[in-house]
Amino acid sequence: MALIVLNNLLRILFLILLQALVVSKILLLDGLILPWIYIFAILMLPFETPRWLVLVIAFGTGLVMDYFTGPMGLHTTACVVLGYMQPLIQRLLAPREGYEINERPTIQKMGLPWYLTYGTILTLIHHVVLFFLEVLRLHDFFYTLIHVLLSVMATMVLMVLGQYLIYNSKPADL
Amino acid sequence: MRNILALIQRFYVTLAFMGLLALSLFMLFSSNNYHRSAFVEHSSDLVGKVYNQRDKLAQYLRLGEINDHLALENARLRARLPENYLLRDTSTGDMLDTAGVLRYRFRPARVINATINRDMNYLTLDRGSEQGIQKDMGVIAGQSVVGIVTSTSDNFSIVMPVIHSNFRTPVRIKGFFGQLTWPGGSPQRAQVDDIPKHARIMPGDTVTTTGFGFTFPAGQLIGFVEEVDMLSKESFHVITIRLSTDYRKVNYVEVISDLMRQEIETLQLRQDSIDGTDRP
Repeated sequence: MALIVLNNLLRILFLILLQALVVSKILLLDGLILPWIYIFAILMLPFETPRWLVLVIAFGTGLVMDYFTGPMGLHTTACVVLGYMQPLIQRLLAPREGYEINERPTIQKMGLPWYLTYGTILTLIHHVVLFFLEVLRLHDFFYTLIHVLLSVMATMVLMVLGQYLIYNSKPADL
Repeated sequence: MRNILALIQRFYVTLAFMGLLALSLFMLFSSNNYHRSAFVEHSSDLVGKVYNQRDKLAQYLRLGEINDHLALENARLRARLPENYLLRDTSTGDMLDTAGVLRYRFRPARVINATINRDMNYLTLDRGSEQGIQKDMGVIAGQSVVGIVTSTSDNFSIVMPVIHSNFRTPVRIKGFFGQLTWPGGSPQRAQVDDIPKHARIMPGDTVTTTGFGFTFPAGQLIGFVEEVDMLSKESFHVITIRLSTDYRKVNYVEVISDLMRQEIETLQLRQDSIDGTDRP
């Protein structure tokens, strides 16, 4: 149990540092594509994590991210929404026999189509809240929309590639 | 009472969500204008250290480029040495007159973090109030304008660069005065307004600071005119300029302090009290 907690904490910390120190420095198309891969930490929480705990972890993750990039509260808000939605989306996408105990949502376990649906929905929710809150203007609605969509794609590509790189023990049979 | 407890028990996740959402939205909107100040006060030491370490590594990887830059600057400065000037006639010496009174002091600083892909971008410098940096000082890199200091902690300071949606500064193109703003989008372009239509502005013209106020000396480079819209019916040009500072690469900067600020301000204040008007 303690190992699982430590494991998840380290993953969150690593992803925040990776985000702040490397990924946020990448400038693609004058900043139009801006992946936020640190939310991978929240998407990766084990299935049986209590909902309140997901919320609290998401809140904490957002807060630390805000300390790195600011303005205070921006990532926190987006992460709280994400943390609220994550168990709901998991329930929505649950297979008929339910999830296995002690399982995490990975491509290897759940298959690529399942993961793409799961990841894209949640990334989209997070990015929509984040980008629209940051701009807080509707006059460049379409610019922000394209910004969101391209960034969601970039985040998903990084998350999927990252999983194949890190958990490459056995490819899932699709 | 029992009903309320039962209700809370049933919806506690949603209630917790509402609470945390309200808290984070409150943080966002209560700190919107000067949100970076909060960042400096609370976290500059830890986050500043992390960014400092990262920057050391990144700098190591770019030593060659920085070297070229410094060599170029050395060459430019060496060209100004008095030994390079041949004095044909004592009355028409081209020598740099160093007997004048110093008005601007330049303090070197290093950029340890920069955002460029937001609407409100910021740079973090590794010098703060203990090293003499104060709010509202101008920041330049080489000869070109970078931004204005907005807040400082003991050892770090935050700079609002030209590429921030709230940045404003008066500029000069061919003797006409305009206002520089950044409309968002590309970190290499900005916009100049308020230049009257009768000014014949051409692509390639230099955009410089005016020297008004206490932030920048006159004649600091900001960029070059890229496009002048001829079609708008307004009586002022809307001019797109290419910024001379490359924010992706800005590394060493100089912070400018105006040593005569107090004297000028006192003088203006005295004049204002004579006139009985308020200067903004």
